[in-house]
Amino acid sequence: MHRLFLCLALLPSLAAAADLEFTLVIQNHRFEPAEIRIPAGKKVKLWIDNRDATAEEFESHELNREKVIPGKAKLPVFVGPLSPGRYRFFGEFHQQTARGTLIAE
Amino acid sequence: MNPIKTITALLAALPLVCSAGPSDYVYVPSVSYGEREIDFKYGAWTQKPGNDGLSAASIGYGYGVSQRWFTEIYSKYQRPQGEPSRFDAWEWENKFQLTEAGEYPVDLGLIVELERPQDRSEGYEFRFGPLFQTEFGKVQLNGNVLFQRNYRADAAAAMQLGYQWQAKYRWQPKLELGFQGFGELGQWNHWDPAGERSHRAGPAMFGKLALGDHQAIRYNAAWLVGASANAPSHNLRLQIEYEF
Repeated sequence: MHRLFLCLALLPSLAAAADLEFTLVIQNHRFEPAEIRIPAGKKVKLWIDNRDATAEEFESHELNREKVIPGKAKLPVFVGPLSPGRYRFFGEFHQQTARGTLIAE
Repeated sequence: MNPIKTITALLAALPLVCSAGPSDYVYVPSVSYGEREIDFKYGAWTQKPGNDGLSAASIGYGYGVSQRWFTEIYSKYQRPQGEPSRFDAWEWENKFQLTEAGEYPVDLGLIVELERPQDRSEGYEFRFGPLFQTEFGKVQLNGNVLFQRNYRADAAAAMQLGYQWQAKYRWQPKLELGFQGFGELGQWNHWDPAGERSHRAGPAMFGKLALGDHQAIRYNAAWLVGASANAPSHNLRLQIEYEF
């Protein structure tokens, strides 16, 4: 049991020292840019900046992420390290317009 | 049914009923802010030959209060084999997301449940424990450690220790395949002898069916086989959530 608590206490120290950061803007229920390139093999902190007044849900089965971003809010989503390739994402609340692709290269 | 046989079967099942149920599911440490859901769970298990089975179901309503807290109220029902269904308990489940998904090598959450059984002699059942998740490409792994104790019960009981795990391959949104396992080890700081612990595991399937307009059906089901003498021989479990 003590080992379990020790592992929990050490969790934050296992994080990468500095995450690469990118920003994805939601405006008029669209992602900007619709294609975003990140380095493969690296963990990335992807800031989702929702400039619309209404909430949006960043969702991607390929990235295994779902995150509700309230209106006028900016929140991080962590992705990777990813193999080189294309990973689709969309906004679940406005699927017709809010669509994009993350390219790991 | 022979009343002596019924009482014997219920006594034999008691350790399982107190510490786990056939409709138990594997908690995951993520929370969806603002999401509402109607949650249906069903499970049935058969005991070893000569003992009776048990089925259980629950219906719940949940809400993502914040980015870190999801709360849900359940009404739970139970049906021992050969008997009518009966109301079993109210349950208040609270899940806390402690780390951002993917921020650390292992995602961390916390589950805290309070149950009020209809049988007042059982007092209040309190269950809590840390939830862990990690991923390797399209493979997702979950493991949870659960502590459970009844308070204000007629019979004093020590804190019990259980576990859950699952491994799944995230093939497609509508269909993911994997395995799940559940177990009860006995008193948290003094485990039962190996032969008296309960372990069950088996294949599982998962998926999410998008309905549009921010609505979806999420499901997971498993067929668990007893892996120890004190475990049910078979356990079918199913969870269906309507998210909106």
